[in-house]
Amino acid sequence: MIHSQRWRTAARQALLFFVALALAATVWEFYKLIGPDAGGTVFGWRVIPKTNDRVMPHTWSMVAELFDPAIGSRDQLVWEVLLGYAWYTFQMSIAGLAVGTIIGVGLAVLMARFRIVERGLFPYIVISQTIPLIALAPQVTAIRGSLDWPQWTSAVALAGFLSFFPISVATLRGLQNVPEASLELMNSYAAGWWTTLRKLRFPMAVPSMVPGFKLAATAAVIGVIVTEITLGGLRGVGFATIDYSQKVTSQPASVYAAVFAASALGLVMFGLVVGAESYIMRNRPREAQQ
Amino acid sequence: MSELTGQDNAEAVEVAAGDAVTVTGASMVFNPGTDSQVDALADIDLTVASGEFVSLIGPSGCGKSTLLRLIANLIEPTAGSIAVNGKPAAQARLDQDYGMAFQQSGLFEWRSVTKNIELPLELKGWNKADRAARAQEMLELVKLPDRGMHMPWQLSGGQQQRVAIARALAAHPPLLLMDEPFGALDEMTREHMQAELLQICEATNTSVVFVTHSIPEAVYLSTRVVVMSAGPGRITDVVTVDHGRDRSESTREDAGFYKKIIEVREALRGAELGSETRGIEDR
Repeated sequence: MIHSQRWRTAARQALLFFVALALAATVWEFYKLIGPDAGGTVFGWRVIPKTNDRVMPHTWSMVAELFDPAIGSRDQLVWEVLLGYAWYTFQMSIAGLAVGTIIGVGLAVLMARFRIVERGLFPYIVISQTIPLIALAPQVTAIRGSLDWPQWTSAVALAGFLSFFPISVATLRGLQNVPEASLELMNSYAAGWWTTLRKLRFPMAVPSMVPGFKLAATAAVIGVIVTEITLGGLRGVGFATIDYSQKVTSQPASVYAAVFAASALGLVMFGLVVGAESYIMRNRPREAQQ
Repeated sequence: MSELTGQDNAEAVEVAAGDAVTVTGASMVFNPGTDSQVDALADIDLTVASGEFVSLIGPSGCGKSTLLRLIANLIEPTAGSIAVNGKPAAQARLDQDYGMAFQQSGLFEWRSVTKNIELPLELKGWNKADRAARAQEMLELVKLPDRGMHMPWQLSGGQQQRVAIARALAAHPPLLLMDEPFGALDEMTREHMQAELLQICEATNTSVVFVTHSIPEAVYLSTRVVVMSAGPGRITDVVTVDHGRDRSESTREDAGFYKKIIEVREALRGAELGSETRGIEDR
């Protein structure tokens, strides 16, 4: 009964997603239909965008672009090429998310165990996220180069850098948010800190960790894409975005094809976390509803 | 002072042989020497004989839960000594000589009923087969033989509390410490659970220290009702209830039962009046 209910919720969410997509496309096309071709001004300010095909291509030409033959590789269609790029970026994102998970969870455990580590470390963890990724990329490359590691490890490192933060914040909150009575119970069994971590704190923290992992999954993709754009040499979705945007004059819809690939990849990563969540939380519907 | 405590300890252990709990001159002061100092318990002496059912009753803040936690060694007394099963309380906790149940069942939501009951056994390092066998035995004891694979949220409040009792008794501890375990249940379920708890204790020969707010509950369950009062928490009276362990539903309507309820009630009121008078004198 619970299962069919969960499926219904999932189906409704999927439906809403496509409804929202259709709505966005409709708004886009509607404005393109009624808006001035050459743009417009309000009180002398140029605020009304042009609606010509170069600035605002038709939604269907964006989609159609996916089925055009790819420039440079005549025997493949654009979507096939993009799928290859996306797979490349996907692998690095997963590796980055794994790195972020190890670091994020590790730091959270340390901070939960030692109050002094939390006080000392937490501000730096927050500050770390104010550093622009683009500023960090060359440094990471320099270190990677000195270690003689392959180029893709830069992307993994930066994806890990972006994704560890939400994971460690969410995990720390989850580990600390344990009812006093449960701690007393473990105490009455003379259970040590690590046993309590394994048997009580971690399982209890899962519902709080999930939102962190959702953010981290998409952050990992962004990390890889930004690295690809900044450093070059890595042929994933980020590279495609740059490559296709250079064709914006001849094929204005093509840049959107790359954007589709990037957002589809983000959705897949997000979906993986949601899938893992519903598996781990399959017997805990009360908490999963939060 | 440490020497004194040591001596007390040794003495207590000697005296305690055969007793489930021996509390000797125990005091508990929270935040000593600060503005928020609380004298939770002052100079408590209490002995619970093996197989006895002792209730602690009193107004909020009288330290009954604190006393229970002292016996459980979840906190250390600021003075005095506590022996459980003839050992210092700390050793008794390490040996898991007692089981504990709280007002909230505190079941782990991610574990099935069986896995919840197995938790203390798991921590003791029992193997899988022994754990499963004992869990089933406990499920039958608390009359939930076919609920093992259920998750806690699928059970009613009363059923959850039974599982918590099964968990507390899983390792067959000689002593059960309960902190208002039926406080969140409706009256009918509550009476039902009380009767079952008595049967279980009878069957397993478990001694119980039971914290409660309810006078009828204390009188129905206990061999002795310990009446406490606040500021600082202390024992003001002990009412012995002698209607034996063989109690049934009709016990609740018995004239003797009512008499005991009135006795405990007056002891409670007397304690309250006493502390009020004292309060006036202090001023």
